[in-house]
Amino acid sequence: MNEAIVVENLKKVYSNGVEAVRDISFSVHYGEIFGFLGPNGAGKSTTIKTVIGLLKPTEGKIFLDGIDTLKDPYKARLVKGYASQETAVDDRLTAYENIYLQGKYFHMESSEIEKNAEKLLKMFGLWERRNALVETFSGGMMKRLDIAAALIHQPKILFLDEPTLGLDIQTRSAIWDYIRKFKENGMTIFLTTHYLEEADALCDRVAIIDKGKIMALDRPGALKSQIGGDLITMTFKEDDVSKYLEKIKEIPEIKEVARMENGVYSIVVEKNGDEMIPRLFKMADEFGVHITSVRLKRPTLDDVYMKYTGRTIREAESTRDEGRKMRMMKRRMKR
Amino acid sequence: MNALIIDSYYVAWRELKKYFRGKTRLIVTVIQPFLWLVLMGNAMSRLTNNPFAAQLLGTGNYLTFMTPGVILMTVMFSSIFSGTTVVWDRRFGYLDKLLAAPIKRGAIPFGKMAASAVQGLLQAVIIVIVALLFGVKFQSGFLGVLAILFIAMLLSFILAGFSLALSVKIKTIETLMAVINLFMMPLMFASNALFPVKVMPAWLKAIAKVNPITYAIIPMRDLTVSGWSIHILWYTLAILAIDAVVMLWTNWVFKNAVAE
Repeated sequence: MNEAIVVENLKKVYSNGVEAVRDISFSVHYGEIFGFLGPNGAGKSTTIKTVIGLLKPTEGKIFLDGIDTLKDPYKARLVKGYASQETAVDDRLTAYENIYLQGKYFHMESSEIEKNAEKLLKMFGLWERRNALVETFSGGMMKRLDIAAALIHQPKILFLDEPTLGLDIQTRSAIWDYIRKFKENGMTIFLTTHYLEEADALCDRVAIIDKGKIMALDRPGALKSQIGGDLITMTFKEDDVSKYLEKIKEIPEIKEVARMENGVYSIVVEKNGDEMIPRLFKMADEFGVHITSVRLKRPTLDDVYMKYTGRTIREAESTRDEGRKMRMMKRRMKR
Repeated sequence: MNALIIDSYYVAWRELKKYFRGKTRLIVTVIQPFLWLVLMGNAMSRLTNNPFAAQLLGTGNYLTFMTPGVILMTVMFSSIFSGTTVVWDRRFGYLDKLLAAPIKRGAIPFGKMAASAVQGLLQAVIIVIVALLFGVKFQSGFLGVLAILFIAMLLSFILAGFSLALSVKIKTIETLMAVINLFMMPLMFASNALFPVKVMPAWLKAIAKVNPITYAIIPMRDLTVSGWSIHILWYTLAILAIDAVVMLWTNWVFKNAVAE
């Protein structure tokens, strides 16, 4: 079996009868960043917790690095690292103590922990603060420490549940950079997110999950191209641009040209709308046409989500337990 | 087995590190026995002027009678809240982190129980010192004091285990507190911790006689008030047996913690 993660027909029904995961199958290649995208309550966390052995699957099989997690849970735990969405660091311990304990939970020698901890704390910019109590850390620092601790035993597969939940933009992009760096080092990363940008920016492949089912699974680019092409909208100084429009209709990548309200023209391009714009400008020059405004809209994963579920992620979010999550975050801040 | 001990050690290490870091908590640990012995001891000291009462207590000094009771109560009240650490750990995801690591499941409660026993030991040592300062004489001598401390540790272990086993099913601190208090207060006052069973009204006596706390105090009190006797060994062995049962129980509960 040459896949980092294999999940076959996974089902998870909670004891209260809630079907959180309904017959999910997927596999994750070695060295890729694989994302589960969906709104809160879609079954992302349940899936990740079942895959890493925190919950028992109702049905189905799970293999991590070729190890059957149900038959050999101990060995399966060794190959993976996990950072939960709650940022599970002990704030009454120092950063170093947190990471040291994590190493000890994985039965590492103290000398090996020291070596890895120094490397990781330096990489995550926490080395100077290693002996400070974590309660003095910002949310972003805690998250970085949490991820660093998950890496102490150099796992082959890293599981990140909502790695940037509630973090500011800078911290978020810093964490994205770290995740890309892990990938460069050959690590396999499985993450869940309800942030579209995150799935788009980071993941090699994305599974769109809704109500416990995988609705679509592909590269973000491929998913978006299912939606149709990029949309360019333009306005012109001249009233009559029909000759110009006739000409650009001949470009093979251009699928559709239409006049909308208020003199706005919409042009649907198969793909790479950004590369099409300079060409359109050049041709406008040739025809003596003056473009006064131009706008490019590309399909997002939200459009993909919309296509499969009939609603946007944000709509799905607002109806679900965003409020609960916010309360949880606030409680954590107070502590 | 070896892995279980090592894993438990690091779980306990974490708890104790935090315990010794909490300055306020440490100070309270020291002050509490003072309060008990000074306030209760003084309030009741006249009692022993009555020769009949002194006979009931088995000693002419109420403090001597009360010291084992105070040791037990202090140990009880600190270890019974051990389960709150699990509720917290679950709240902020640390429990998942422990469960996701390749440590033995049983190490989670055992480590926390061991940490609680160390705290219990520390508190018992402080009470013994304070009691000695107030003139309490331990009839069984230095070895007897060591035996009392050992028993206190064993009891702390049991109560912590009990609390931890409950905490796996109880998801909020408030509920856990309520459940614990429901048991603690009656257990405490319907026992021989502060008053001899003989002076109790019949109904209370009936409760005290089936109250495990009463039996936990007997060996400690005998060691303090009257000295060594063979039945202390039997009591200690019985407490050890309960320790073993509690360990099996918590181990089972935590092994099944992922069952849902």
